[in-house]
Amino acid sequence: MTTTQDSAVAVEMITVVIDGFEVSVPKGTLIIRAAEKLGIQIPRFCDHPLLDPVGACRQCLVDVEINGRAFPKPQASCTIPVEPNMIVKTQLTSPVADKAQKGVMELLLGNHPLDCPVCDKGGECPLQNQAMSNGRADARLDGYKRTFEKPINISSSVLLDRERCVLCARCTRFSAQIASDPFITLNERGALQQVGIYENDPFKSYFSGNTVQICPVGALTGASYRFRARPFDLVSTPSACEHCASGCDMRTDVRRGKTLRRLAGDDPSVNEEWNCDKGRWAFKYVTALDRLTHPLVRNSSGELVQASWPEALAAAAAGLKGKRAAVLTGGRVTTEDAYGYSKFARIALATNDIDYRARVTSDEERDFLAAYVAGSSTTYRDIDTADHVALIAFEPEEESPIVFLRLNKNFKKRGLKVSAVATKGSIAMDKLKADFIKVAPGAEASAVAGLALTAKSVILVGERASESAGLFSAVAALAAKTGAKIAYIPRRAGERGALEAGALGTVLPGGRPVVDAAARVDIAAAWGVDSLPATPGRTSSQIIDALASGDLDAVVVGGVDAHDLPHSHAVLDALKKSFVVSLEIAPSSVTAVADVVLPVAAITEKSGSFLNWEGRARAFDSAVADSHNRSDVRILSMLADALGNPISLGTVTSSAREFNQLGSWDGARVQFAPVAAGTAKSVSGNDALLSSWRRLLDMGTLQKGEDNLAGTRRPTVAVISTKRAESIGVTTGQQVRVSNAHGSITIPVLVEDIHEDAVWIPRNSFASQALVALDAVHGDVVTVVKA
Amino acid sequence: MTDFNESANIEKKISGQADINSVPFTEVEQPGPASLAQQAKGFWVTFSTMFKKNQTVQYPDVKAPTAPRFHGRHQLNRHPDGLEKCIGCELCAWACPADAIFVEGGNNTPENQLSPGERHGAVYQINYLRCIFCGLCVEACPTRALTMTNEYELADDKREKLIFEKEDLLAPLRQGMLAPPHPMYPGMTDTNYYNGDVKEAHPSQSESGQGVN
Amino acid sequence: MGLEDKLPSGVLLSTVEGLAGYMRKSSVWPATFGLACCAIEMMALGSAPKHDISRFGMERFSASPRQADLMIVAGRVSQKMAPVLRQIYDQMTAPKWVISMGACASSGGMFNNYAIVQGVDHIVPVDIYLPGCPPRPEQLMDAIIKLHTLIGDTKLGPNREAIIKEVELAALNAKPTIQMKGLLA
Repeated sequence: MTTTQDSAVAVEMITVVIDGFEVSVPKGTLIIRAAEKLGIQIPRFCDHPLLDPVGACRQCLVDVEINGRAFPKPQASCTIPVEPNMIVKTQLTSPVADKAQKGVMELLLGNHPLDCPVCDKGGECPLQNQAMSNGRADARLDGYKRTFEKPINISSSVLLDRERCVLCARCTRFSAQIASDPFITLNERGALQQVGIYENDPFKSYFSGNTVQICPVGALTGASYRFRARPFDLVSTPSACEHCASGCDMRTDVRRGKTLRRLAGDDPSVNEEWNCDKGRWAFKYVTALDRLTHPLVRNSSGELVQASWPEALAAAAAGLKGKRAAVLTGGRVTTEDAYGYSKFARIALATNDIDYRARVTSDEERDFLAAYVAGSSTTYRDIDTADHVALIAFEPEEESPIVFLRLNKNFKKRGLKVSAVATKGSIAMDKLKADFIKVAPGAEASAVAGLALTAKSVILVGERASESAGLFSAVAALAAKTGAKIAYIPRRAGERGALEAGALGTVLPGGRPVVDAAARVDIAAAWGVDSLPATPGRTSSQIIDALASGDLDAVVVGGVDAHDLPHSHAVLDALKKSFVVSLEIAPSSVTAVADVVLPVAAITEKSGSFLNWEGRARAFDSAVADSHNRSDVRILSMLADALGNPISLGTVTSSAREFNQLGSWDGARVQFAPVAAGTAKSVSGNDALLSSWRRLLDMGTLQKGEDNLAGTRRPTVAVISTKRAESIGVTTGQQVRVSNAHGSITIPVLVEDIHEDAVWIPRNSFASQALVALDAVHGDVVTVVKA
Repeated sequence: MTDFNESANIEKKISGQADINSVPFTEVEQPGPASLAQQAKGFWVTFSTMFKKNQTVQYPDVKAPTAPRFHGRHQLNRHPDGLEKCIGCELCAWACPADAIFVEGGNNTPENQLSPGERHGAVYQINYLRCIFCGLCVEACPTRALTMTNEYELADDKREKLIFEKEDLLAPLRQGMLAPPHPMYPGMTDTNYYNGDVKEAHPSQSESGQGVN
Repeated sequence: MGLEDKLPSGVLLSTVEGLAGYMRKSSVWPATFGLACCAIEMMALGSAPKHDISRFGMERFSASPRQADLMIVAGRVSQKMAPVLRQIYDQMTAPKWVISMGACASSGGMFNNYAIVQGVDHIVPVDIYLPGCPPRPEQLMDAIIKLHTLIGDTKLGPNREAIIKEVELAALNAKPTIQMKGLLA
């Protein structure tokens, strides 16, 4: 590891005596954590290592003595840092501390209802456990407990039971300090103190699920897990989040083959015990979708009919054999599966026509990925040490929430400077007090050149940079000029892994350039084949064009939804003309036109790994053990066998082993050819330049069946500037129609900080699916009128 | 008793040339044939039994009652107004040493109120092929919802038939009870239910077309 | 089996079925298979005057399998005992029936571990499952009476073949275990 600034400074150690044992801890450590180091458990509710100390619950009282002078009364060990010559006596050695703790517990339980049998926390409740370990055996309170109406929905996903609350303020501190979403707070005083939300303002945070996880009692519970199971029913599997490229560590809890909940795992270098609500609550799609159970083959009368595996593989092989075929994998496959697709394209189909990018893409992006991203190693740690972070075509809270939490932490702790080159301001930019460099859609490249960065800065560039010509070139030039690090943050979990696995036309696994003969020989030797195709492959849009024009005959499609691609009607027409083999978990727009459909395992049913945006492997095991579904790589291996060109990747493990053995390329990278900076189109009157991105919670397929989660979506609005609002005569809340020759979208308007020439709409939200309805991307001209 | 030396001697003989006849044994006096009087006494027991009261319980026709606390089939009880006592807390499943109980909780809504309070047992199954009738589930039940009856005639010819669902286990509706779902007794909370303050279904509910049994 | 299987279906067969069933059910001879505590209750049924199993024509608890046609598996079947049990079953004369007595024989009961067969129906076809730990003698009698009903209703010849087909079809159309909910899964 590189030596970082804070570890270079010698840490001052302080020795204290706790229960007669000496322990040395860094200066500033709280007593409660020094005791933990000795293995002494002091009971606590409000204390959380990632939140500021507050001393709210008073459960952690201990006797403290400094320089021979004792505090007159027991002190809260979660708020007092250690001092030299400090002697601490916990409940184990001090009868006073023990009595104080028992007294506090008795008071906490005084108003706590005896409804453990109906409480979701029962069985894994810190209050239950610590009442057993550090409480009195019997209650002396004789009277009525305080009651509240229960439970109340503070958002569609989170339920609040105020009777159970011990007022530890973990939830309110999390919302204020970590998520900067202060939607919940402690109201009233004294015995009536309670957690509450603002009137008519629900707890609409993208991170609300974390409060459920850190609540030490059952006061905050998740609506979707309500009364579903007990901890002893659940089989927990460590897993990784499949939703975005942040790469959260997760825990998946399964009861009898069904995922019931997911919790954030604890990985200090990535997600630090937190995750977003999508990662936590969007998992029912595995069962909610009408899953494919058998292979399907299109028969002579044009209908998809059920077939056996040998039949389906034979049909797929017959359709692919000797044809000019390509591969589209989509960005949601695991690294092992992406490697399987990559090897399958090169060996079984003898082509480099493979692209994992099922979205709006550009050739500039492909070259940028191959030259700067494959094998790069910018990490979360670099954000922690950066002096300045630039956000380019990247909305952290919507597109990679944990990156936002990390930025927010650095902003809160040390005032990290954040600049954002964007068309529209956002909630995240407000929270980060970001320097908002407002540009018209399409003109981002010229604005980037002007950023004042240093060698310690980090440029976070999102996948949407491909929608603005010259933007990647400008980022590369800026990094070259200032020495700043580039971090490319795609939206989907599998994209970085697919890039490293070579699921792109110009690179082979490990970032080896296709055009480099030595790299080809390297891979050909490892794969045991004579040679690999030398022509760089087509991009996804070129593959679609070639299918439409007849230059390609067939295509193997992984988890791709045609509606994620620009010009989806043309895509579906092209697929209809060709022989399509689709590997999918559920019927989709692609399986509807496919000739052979092969069902594959969903994420909980298989093992594998994702590479997050850092390139860090996030491995996970199958959570549902007895699934009959197989990972893509296994099916590709069978298909390659049927084609007579085996790829010999029978298991996920063998794929992972082979991929890791290849290692990364130490030779020259793909040459990056800069593209001239694009400019914004000029508009006048009611015409505007479209800008859009996807919301975290939207109409995505992986959020299907999550009605509670859908309730915390941000509203679907069209954002326009004050000037435009005046000129078309609308105010916030009124309907506008955004239209072009292709179609129109009518949604309420929000007047906000946005470039005068632009209009922003969500890309895939309810009533606003820009790609499908308007067939328009970033920077296209649309008309905005009052509806 | 044979002493140590003697047994060593035997071993030696067996290992060499065994002489079975010289192995020591104790002669026991065998009883000779019993006297006629004794035989008559024996037969008298058999003969007199014919005039004794018949001990056989003619089982399928006559069913002797079990001990009052015999552990038979379970029953899910109801509150006096017909609402179920089970709250789906799974403590019975937790207590079960044979893992014979499966419970899934459910949310009580105003339209579907099956038990007092927030929670009801949505799925309740007992696998009588595993159940060992130990009664730990009954002890664990916090609402006295689960008790055991004296019914024991449970044998059946299919595995599936011996997994009893909630409908099979629920107690019958008695006088004053109303089949759930129906709202809680007006003005009463779940605490009132547990304190026994609810004695019957509210008349307004019975008149609302569902009828009291 | 015998001549009765060769009869064509119809009135004649129904009468023969009824007669054969009545005779079979009235003279079932159990082979003891006492393996654990359930055997004590089985012995109470077999030899104590209170229950007197002779009333059901089951005078003889056969220690020889070839003279028995009902196996009462009473107790937990360990993996080691399983092949022995199967061999005894195979040696019994057809038609033969099996009662799985008690939780352990039926499903392994509380012995959910590697040593115990999790249900004797893994080894032999079971006609009646009898819950209880152990079941009281009355319960065993109840099981026997239910078995008698089954035996009495046994079909022969073409009727039997039709039933076999029906059962086979039902098994094919049955819900896969993976789709079953709760304890059925």
